[in-house]
Formats: sequence, structure tokens, C-alpha cells
Amino acid sequence: MTDLVLALASGAAGGILIALMPRAGDRLRNIVALIFSAAGTLFSWRVAGAVFAGRTIRISGEIAGLAWSLHPDPLGAVFGLIVSTLWLFAGVYSFGYMAEEQKQRTYYTYFLLAFSVTLGVAFSGNLLALYLFYELLTFATYPLVIHERNSEAMKAGSKYIIYSLSGAGAILIAIIIVYSWTGNLDFTGGPLLADCGLRPGLGWVLALFVAGFGVKAAIMPLHRWLPAAMCAPTPVSALLHAVAVVYSGVYGIVRVVYSVFGHELAGQLHLSHILPWVAAFTILVGVIIATQQDVLKRRLAYHTVSQLSYILLGAFTLHPWGLAGAICHMISYSTLKVTLFFGAGIIAKGTGKVRVSEMSGVGWQLPRTMAAFGIASLGMIGMLPLNTFWSKYYLMRGSVAMGKWQLALVLIASGLINAFCFIPTVVAAFAEKGEQPVLEKGSAMGLMLAPTLLLAGIALLIGLWPGLVWPGVDAVVNWFF
Amino acid sequence: MLLVLLPIIPLLGAFALVGTRRTRGKSINIPFVVSSLTLFLGQRVLRDVLGGNPLTYRLPVSGPYVPTFRADALSAIFVLLAAFLWWVVSIYSPEYMKQEGRARSFDISTLLTLSAVLGVFLAGDLFTLLLFFELMTITSFFWVVHRRDEHAIRAGYFYLFFSIAGGLLLALGIVLIGIATSGLPAIGVGPVTPLKPQAFSWGVAVIVAGFGIKAGMAPLHLWLPHAHSVAPTPASTLLSGLLIKVGAYGLIRTGEIAGWGLEFASAAPWLGPVLTALGTCTMLVGVLAALLQSDAKRLLAYHSVSQMGYIILGLGIGLSLGKAGSLGLLGSIYHIVNHALFKAALFLGVGVIYIRTGETDLYNLGGLWRRFPVTAILMFLAVLGIAGAPGLNGYASKTLLHHAVSGAAQTGAPLMVWAERLFLLVGVGTAASFAKLFYLIFLGKPTEIEISGETSQKFHISMAVLAVVMVGIGLRPELFPKALAVPAAQGLGMETAFAGIADLSFWNTGDVAGMIITLGLGILVCYAGLATGAFHWTPPGFLTLEGLGAIVCHSLAAVIRTGEESYHLAIASISEIGRTIRSRLLSACHRLDHSRDGAIGKIALAGISADAAILLVTLAILIVCCTYFDLGLAGLRLPTSLPSWMKISFYR
Repeated sequence: MTDLVLALASGAAGGILIALMPRAGDRLRNIVALIFSAAGTLFSWRVAGAVFAGRTIRISGEIAGLAWSLHPDPLGAVFGLIVSTLWLFAGVYSFGYMAEEQKQRTYYTYFLLAFSVTLGVAFSGNLLALYLFYELLTFATYPLVIHERNSEAMKAGSKYIIYSLSGAGAILIAIIIVYSWTGNLDFTGGPLLADCGLRPGLGWVLALFVAGFGVKAAIMPLHRWLPAAMCAPTPVSALLHAVAVVYSGVYGIVRVVYSVFGHELAGQLHLSHILPWVAAFTILVGVIIATQQDVLKRRLAYHTVSQLSYILLGAFTLHPWGLAGAICHMISYSTLKVTLFFGAGIIAKGTGKVRVSEMSGVGWQLPRTMAAFGIASLGMIGMLPLNTFWSKYYLMRGSVAMGKWQLALVLIASGLINAFCFIPTVVAAFAEKGEQPVLEKGSAMGLMLAPTLLLAGIALLIGLWPGLVWPGVDAVVNWFF
Repeated sequence: MLLVLLPIIPLLGAFALVGTRRTRGKSINIPFVVSSLTLFLGQRVLRDVLGGNPLTYRLPVSGPYVPTFRADALSAIFVLLAAFLWWVVSIYSPEYMKQEGRARSFDISTLLTLSAVLGVFLAGDLFTLLLFFELMTITSFFWVVHRRDEHAIRAGYFYLFFSIAGGLLLALGIVLIGIATSGLPAIGVGPVTPLKPQAFSWGVAVIVAGFGIKAGMAPLHLWLPHAHSVAPTPASTLLSGLLIKVGAYGLIRTGEIAGWGLEFASAAPWLGPVLTALGTCTMLVGVLAALLQSDAKRLLAYHSVSQMGYIILGLGIGLSLGKAGSLGLLGSIYHIVNHALFKAALFLGVGVIYIRTGETDLYNLGGLWRRFPVTAILMFLAVLGIAGAPGLNGYASKTLLHHAVSGAAQTGAPLMVWAERLFLLVGVGTAASFAKLFYLIFLGKPTEIEISGETSQKFHISMAVLAVVMVGIGLRPELFPKALAVPAAQGLGMETAFAGIADLSFWNTGDVAGMIITLGLGILVCYAGLATGAFHWTPPGFLTLEGLGAIVCHSLAAVIRTGEESYHLAIASISEIGRTIRSRLLSACHRLDHSRDGAIGKIALAGISADAAILLVTLAILIVCCTYFDLGLAGLRLPTSLPSWMKISFYR
């Protein structure tokens, strides 16, 4: 209980504290940010540990006659674990990346506030709390998107707000309908709509939910805000636009499908036969568009669009293996994608190169960065020494087990296109050996490099020993099936 | 423990190499030390498993993946073969790489590849196999791109993308087999009885395609000639000598799951005939393409394709005939070993010529036997070996395979009859293309080519080691199958393996005479081809698989481009509509709101007006939903009744 409160509060407290110290030096501010994000991470690990141990943690209350509750279940705990762990890495990376940037106070304030809000999404126990935190997340991350304050950033910010709020509107409608049916929004005690049975309009409610959360989960054609938001500083792109914010959308969809509808009810809807194909479409088209992008961060953004739908595909199979694959992919993809973004950020900071076509020879200037980048690229294909193989394996297994073997072929094709997407970049980076000096020196570079390499190492470790994360995956699957 | 140690030793060797930096002078030849050590350990493993009891070792970890290692006679043969080839090449490569450059990075990738290859052979479950298989792809990629020029990188991409596709197909195959059998079969458990035969069949098919890419099986062999010819010679040797055999090893293990020695009763009865057909095609495609090559290394690479065809053909016959097919399996295993030996010797010989003359184009070479007498003799032995001359190792395994094919042809099945005919034809083609290779390099008219440096004794030592083994096998051809291949086949479930070979004589007049006729015909074809210039013919683009592939790629790219353009068009028109709506909305709001300053129209849409718009849209959708779709919200239903055709029921 206290752990839950502290986990949620530490980010917010840190953010407010930083906002209240306008004159503090960079060093002090970094220390405060580090302490509070480490505290948030520590407490959310404790919460997750308690959840996996089977204990119930619940805080609830009422606003204006409507009940809200915080009640992490295994799915929320896994999401919280991913987010809080990566927040620590991104925090350390930010110290290096933001060292010479302007407006650091604003940056760290919202960076920490967003931490709290994301954990709120993860740990929420009913639809109202989920909705509130989900909306708040949009506003907490908006200042990070417009960090540069130039016209491109402002435009991207508007796009972000418009897309997110329209999605939230759809969710609100769906929540109202669900409330009118059940008089209850709590989803921790079995599927919310299980008692309603099949009734007219059920499919439309699911469609509203999926479309609403699908904006943040970047389902095509609702994805356009994501590449635009890449004008944010790299740690933000890495953490928020590859993991935290987009995961809150994915998490919302998984939550709705499994906790609000339940896999049995959802499986009886026509829609459940269409949704996997929507995800498959996004997977293929997203990665194909990614291969056409020249700006590395945009390429990564479209690639995110594609990879998020892997998770959705697994969730939409409504099969235990598919869900296991989805949870696995949530864990593995986040480590690798953050590595890729961190790598792109180091390249941009070190050499000023942001386009793929300029990358030749970068590998010799930044050998360790590009090594981590290369490892992560292999992971995106789904090759075995990396953790994404396991998610891909279970996703394929789920799709075949539910009789949609074509989806497995989609995953294979996507793996191959992923190879076309990133391998040439890595090879080109090491192709021409010039006389450039190695740039991986200095403390700022070290602060950026350490999390990058560590994450690549973690991805390898999980790939070789999937038993490391398996208890979490297992707990989620057992919770819903 | 021994099993885990084997892949780890080369790994440690690679780390040691990384750690030593570039200390010149008294550095020891780490690859040599490592491969000697693995050779020794491999022999220990072989001794342990020959009794018939496989070794197994499970790593004590939890979770969905428990790495398992396992060795039986088949694995031991492959481990020994790999260690031996690496050992031979480690004698050869230091001198060679001194001239090629970047020796250290080459050695590192060589050691890592050794580790991966040993891991594949010692894997005890499909995941471990796949793990080392993928590692092998990555580490050997560095061989192919070693020269880092445009050519090498192109070939490297070709290699990498094909291999990645192979790995992904294997993963899919594992998925399908796992579903078909409810629980993954471990390697070496013998035939499985699938619960879902359909899924099992597809799984086996996908796995065959995955391994087939590695094995250079037609039509998946496209990457092979490119990759094998641009890599530095020691790497080509190992690629052609051993890495493609990993694909064959995988096919043998796939056959094990489907059932060796089970006569069509196996779960995938189509597997044998399909492999026979594919093997025959591979043989034919490889040898025809080889005849047209002018580059020595490409010629050898196409011959790797062709010889892999022999091996796949043998496996196919072994699977088709069930118990009677033991000769096919034995012949394949035997040919795997023999091909590794003579192909390695051939590549090493061509490498010697290349390092002295800088030339691999056959038509620019000629009359070199005076300058390279020892190389010429050693190459001659290898050429005789691959052509199948009696007294050398190629004869032994080709005889076994020929017995298997003719045995199959006696069943009268048209496929098998044609397989035998083409088998003989390919034998002639092989003899012809190697007659051409040897003639153009060592005999023929001396050309104006500059020869520099000296031939290191180490080159000849490594080739001589191979030649000794080749002649040894050639003179006592029955030793290897009886001592090693039969236990391996029995371990795979082919109980009749010994009976099949017990009364087989390698030296009957029919076989010897047949081989000599084949060689004679080959030389005649070679003469005719050189005299008429037929070897210079280049087939038109659409006839070659590369040409077809290019056509397919271009059309795919065109489709994607069209899709992209229409996407951009659609997005543009949508945003045009959006802009129109926005400006209309804003002006309408402006007119609604009479105040001059702070009008809604002046606030950015990102601010308040977006929320206002969303609230409006929300309300609108809500009303529409409730009326159209009859959601049952009691108080909110509008009193209007809609005509029945407008009511959409999204209800199953």
C-alpha cells in the first residue's frame, strides 16, 4: 500500500521539487532527478514483487459519485516494471544528452511528472482511473514534445494533442456506455462485461475502445502524430514515444480486451476476426514505410508503429500463447528499441548526423554505440540470441494455434523487411574506415553510452535466458486464462 | 560437461584474440591451438558415443528454454570433421591473411564461427540448434564482407538476407512442429507421431526450406556462389567445406523427426521423393552453371551446389525407400565428409595461385605447372577426388550413392529412373568442368602473368594433409562407412544400415569401368566445350534464377512505390478536407461568437477549441450510436424511429 503510494508520488514530488528550484545548478538538479526516479523505480519494483507474490494492493475512493481505484494486477505490474526500469536508464541518458541543452528545468519537471502518470496508468484498477491517467499523460508529455519551441515542434505538439484527445474522446464514450450497462467500472475481479453476455452494440464499444487507445498505440491510420513527435529530444523519443506513451495505448487495448470484455466474450464478436488483420496491416505497412525514411529517428518512429502492432497482434489472437508473445514483446521490444533510439541520439550528438544516408564511417567513430545498435537491429529481425525471438516465437505460436497461420507468415515477412530496414545502416556505418578519431570520450558521452550498452546486454541476457522474465509473462497469462 | 566445453573453447580463443590487441612478433597461432584442442576433445566425444549411448547435458536453468547439448555418432562425425577442417585451415591462413590483410579480425570471426558450428552439431534441442545456427550466420557474414569493397558487401547482403530468411523459416517450422506434436521433440528422440499431421507436414516443409537455404539447395542456392567466391580463400574453404554441410546436418535431423527407416509410414511421406527431386535439380543446376564459369572460385562454388545436390539426393532416397534406403543415408554422410576434404583442397590450391598471381580468372591463367609443381600435383589429386576417379575418396561415396540411386531406380518410379540418368550426366559434367579447371590453370598455353612472392611451405603442408586423408580413404573405402557412418545411421534409427553395406564391394569391375567411362566422357565434353567456345555462353537474364529474382524484386518495388504514392495522395486529400473543415468551423465559430477580442477563432486548435470540438463530436457520436445501434441506454433514446434498413446490428 505505502509502496504503491510512494511509487506514484516519487515522480510527481521530484518534478515539483525541480520546478521549485529555478536557480539550482545542473549537478544538483540531476541528483534530485536521479534520486526520485530511482525511488520510483525501487517502489514500483516492490509493488510488482508483491503482486507477483499474490498479495492484493488496493487504494480506492470516489470522485463525484464515481468510484476510482488503484489496483495493480500482473499485467499492470509488468507494464510498471518495464516503464520504471527504463525510466531510470533514460534518466541517466538524459544527464548526458541534455547537458548542453536549454530549458533543463522544464524538461526534468515534466520528465518526472510523466513518470508518475505512466505508473498511474499501469497501476490503475478501474476504467475511470485508467482514463484519467491516460488523459493526464497527454498533457504531462506535451511540454516535452514542444521542447525545442520552434515551429516544427509546435506543429508536432498540436498534432499530438489533437490525435490524443480525439482518441480519449472515443474512450470516454465507450466508458460511459460500459458504465450504463454494468454500473461498475472496476476490472480487477474478472472481465467487467462477462455478465452482460452478447448484446447489440458490443462490437461497436470494442471498436470505440480500440480506436481510442489505438491512437496512442499508433494503429494505422491513427499513427501520424508519432513520426511528427520525433522532434522531441532523443531521451523523450526513446522513452515516451517508443515505450511509455505508446505502451499506455497498447496497455489500454490489452486491458480492454482481456479485463473489460474477457477473451471469451471478445472471441464471440465478429470484430475479433478483423482486429488481428488490422494489426497485421500496420505491421507490414509500418515497416515498409520505415525502410523509405532517410531521417534515422523517423525511420525508428515508423518502425515503432510496426512493432507496437506485434503486441496488439498477440493480444488480438485471444490465445494464451499469443498473449504470452504479446507480453514478451512488450518486455523485449522496449529494451531493444530504447537501445536503438539511444544509439541514434549518440550519433546525432557525437557527429551531428541524423540521416541514414550520411552514416557511412560512423561506426569507426562510435564503435561501441554502433555495436549496440547492430545488436538491437538483429533483435528487431527476431534472431535468436536476442529476446525478441521469444516474443516472435510465441506470437507465431499463438497465431497458428488459433488457426490463423497466415499471421505467422506476416511476422516472418516483417522480420525480413526489418533486416532490410536496419542492417544496411549498420553495414554502411562500418564500411569505410576513415581517419576520424573515436568520439566515445568524456563524461557526457559516458552517461549516454552506459545505459545503451547495458540495455543491449540485458536484451542478450533475456534472449539466452528467457526464464528471467518468464514468471511475469506466466503470471499475466494465468491471470487472464 | 565435455559437450559445453567444445563450443566454449573457440569462444575463449576469440576473446583471447580480442584481448591481445595488435602485439606483433612472438604471437602464437591461437586458431591453431584452439582447433587442435577441439580436435582432441572431438575425438574423446567420438570415443564416448561410439558405444551407442549418446551424451547429453542440460543446463540447469528455469524458464521456457532449457539449453540442452547432446552428442551421438552423427554429431561426433560432424564435430571431428569441423575441427579437422579448421585445423587444416589454421595452418594455411596466417601466411595467406598476411597478404590479404586484417588477419586479426578474420581470425576472430573464424573462431566464433567454429564455436557456432560446434554448437549446432552438439545441440540437443531445436532452440539451441537455432541459436547456434543464427550465430553462425552472423559470424560468417564477417568472412563474406571481409574485403569491404562493393562486391563483397553486395554478396554479404545476399548471404545475410537469405540466411536470415532461413532462420526465420526455421523458427516458423519449430512453431508448427511444436503445435503438431504438443511439446517440442528434442533432437535425437527419433520419429514422432504428430497429433495434427497437416501442421506437422507444413512444419517439416518449412524447416527443409530453412536448412535448404544454408545447404544451397536449388532454387535457394542463389546466395552461395556470390558469397563463397568473394570471401578470402580460407573462409571460402570453410564455407564450402563445412558451413553448407550444416544445412545437410539439419536435413538429416529433420529426417530423423520424420523417421529414418520408416517406409512411407512416416508422418511426412512426401519428404523423401521431394528431397530426391530437389537434390537432382540442385546437382544439375550446379554443374551446368559451373561449366559456364570463368572464375575459378565461382566454378568451385557452383560445384559446392552441385555436390550438395548429391548429398540431398542421397538423403531423399534414404527417406523414400525406408529400410532399403540405408545406402542413400550412408552415401550422403560419406559424401559430406569426402566433399569437405576435396573441396577444401581445391579452394586452398586456387588460393595459392591467387596469392601469387592475383588472378582467379581461368582464361588469364595457363601453363602454371612449371611454376607450381607441388600445388599442381596436390590439386590434381583433389580434382581426381571430386571427379570420382577410383583410388580416391570421391569414388567411394559416389559409388555408394550410385548404388543407392540404381537401387531406387529398380522400383520403376519415373522420378527415381530419371534421378539415375541425371546422376550419370552430372558425373560427366563434373569431370568436364574439373578437366577444364585443371587444364586452364596448370596445362594449356602459358600466359603473360606476373608471379610474385614465394609459395609458403605451410600452404603445401595443409593441402598435403588433406591429400593424405583423401588417398587413405580412397584406398580403403570401406573403413569409414563401417566404423563411423553405420553407427551414426543406426543412431538415427536406420537399423538396417550394417546389412546394407556388409556385402558391398567397392572394387567391382562395373563400378570402376563406369567411373572411368564417365571420366573419359567428361574430358571429351571439356575438349568439345573449349574447342567450340560453348563455355563462354551466357544465358539470357530470364533463364537464370538471378534474372528472375531481379524481375520479381523490381515488380515488388514498383508495387510498393505505387502504394506509397497513393498513400501520399490519400493523406494529402484527407488533410485538404481537414483544413477546409477547420477553416469553415473556425469562421462559423467566429460568427457565432460576437466578441471582437479573444474570439474562439483566434485561439489555436491545439488549445481549447480542440476540446470543444471533441466534446461536440463526442455528443454527436453518442447520439448517433444510441439511436442507430440500439445500445439500450434507457433515458437517452431519441423518440424518432428509424426505417429498418438503417439499423445496423453489429451483433453475432
